[in-house]
Amino acid sequence: MARRIIKLTFPKDLIKEPLTFTMATKYNIMPNIRRAKVTESVGELVLELDGQEQDLDKGVEFLKKSGVIVESIVGDVIE
Amino acid sequence: MSYVLGLKCRECAREYPKDVLFVCEYCFGSLEVNYDYKAIKKNLTKEVLLGRPKNMWRYKELLPIDKDPTVGLDSGYTPLIKANNLARALGVRELYLKDDSVNHPTLSFKDRVVSVAISKAKEFGFDTVACASTGNLANSVSAQAASCGLKAYVFIPADLETGKVVASQIYNPNLIGVEGNYDEVNRLCSEIASRYRWAFVNINIRPFYAEGSKSMGYEIAEQLDWKLPKHIVVPSAGGSLITKLWKSFKELKELGFLEKVDTKVYCAQGQGCAPIVTAIKEKSEVIRPVKPKTIAKSLAIGNPADGYYAVDTVRKSGGWAEEASDEEIVEAIKLLAKTEGIFTETAGGVTLAVAKKLIEQGIILKDESMVICITGNGLKTLEVVTKSLPRLVKIKPNLASFEEHIKNGAHQKISENKVIEYYI
Repeated sequence: MARRIIKLTFPKDLIKEPLTFTMATKYNIMPNIRRAKVTESVGELVLELDGQEQDLDKGVEFLKKSGVIVESIVGDVIE
Repeated sequence: MSYVLGLKCRECAREYPKDVLFVCEYCFGSLEVNYDYKAIKKNLTKEVLLGRPKNMWRYKELLPIDKDPTVGLDSGYTPLIKANNLARALGVRELYLKDDSVNHPTLSFKDRVVSVAISKAKEFGFDTVACASTGNLANSVSAQAASCGLKAYVFIPADLETGKVVASQIYNPNLIGVEGNYDEVNRLCSEIASRYRWAFVNINIRPFYAEGSKSMGYEIAEQLDWKLPKHIVVPSAGGSLITKLWKSFKELKELGFLEKVDTKVYCAQGQGCAPIVTAIKEKSEVIRPVKPKTIAKSLAIGNPADGYYAVDTVRKSGGWAEEASDEEIVEAIKLLAKTEGIFTETAGGVTLAVAKKLIEQGIILKDESMVICITGNGLKTLEVVTKSLPRLVKIKPNLASFEEHIKNGAHQKISENKVIEYYI
């Protein structure tokens, strides 16, 4: 099993879509929500994901392809 | 003696010991250094400061090290210049420039944070420091690691311009060009930071590193005789500097050095990489990451680690935010050079261009005091301004040729910063 911590940013038109659930069931990933914030125009979700390494890759790719911005929780490290 | 109580989560306020930690294990919020201000108040007074050397360590009680600093001993206490010529050009009454373009040792604001980070890394017992950077941070980590004998790993994009590579390579770090796009370099560095026992200055010891920025705020207050300006314009990349300046002002008030904190803080970013400005203007609590596209490379952080906190600070202070286009950045760099004799890099251009806009929009009032933060040196980004400068005027090596030139109105051109090359 592998673990990954990610920050998701949902544009307005995706806030109502159950993308996290879909990713979890489709790729057998266990998400643990640690922090979340949803406003009128944008949603932010900090998740801990547990699963097989290749499933995590596929799950993250699924979110990206769906239009979710997937980033590291520490922000960009190149300064 | 240390005045650090420990670390505290900025989101859920959980407390942690003073250790190599950077995110809360519960909510993954970032951690911040927590001090014993009562004890500091007993030991740090204006009178004590009078007897101390003029560098950033004169405020060492408010910086997160346990022993005396071991690196960057001459960093900080950069000039606060009353910029009368620039003030006239902008039509304002009282304008100051905090000039970190002459910071020691590598001519940028980053020398402050790296001095703290590497001093702390040594206290933690690390023998290797690291960073990922496209410029100023790489220069400072390379130089300061060299000066104190630590090993340094510096990751840069493989296609970085030669000039920028040299400004780090000269200090002999392990300089590694990563072949990949911006996101891939980011991801690799996060993985390396979690795998190797190195002090990755802006990742695993970030809570300590970031505190170095506060020294700029203490200095501004002291250099204005313990008063704050009504407005301060700050360049933003990851958003840390804005939050730490605000923290420094609040700390000085708590310690009794300042009567009040009524400064409005303004965030300046380059158009094409302005996620913090966008959030402030849209009144959003969430930062939407962007793909950077600006000549202000030193501010090109699309997913700012402290973005939310920067937005919060600007809002609390009653400030605002603006962005500057590439053309406006270049014009501002030239304006600063022409009026004050200071050559700044693109980040300084962004800050001045934004200050000018805020004045023109009537957001910063012309008869109120303001500080503009200049965070880096123009010699590092020569390529940005080269094309916009007048061509070199050439003459033959005799008086007749010179006088012919003068007759054609060259005396006016000279006063417009034209360069004359003599054949000798």
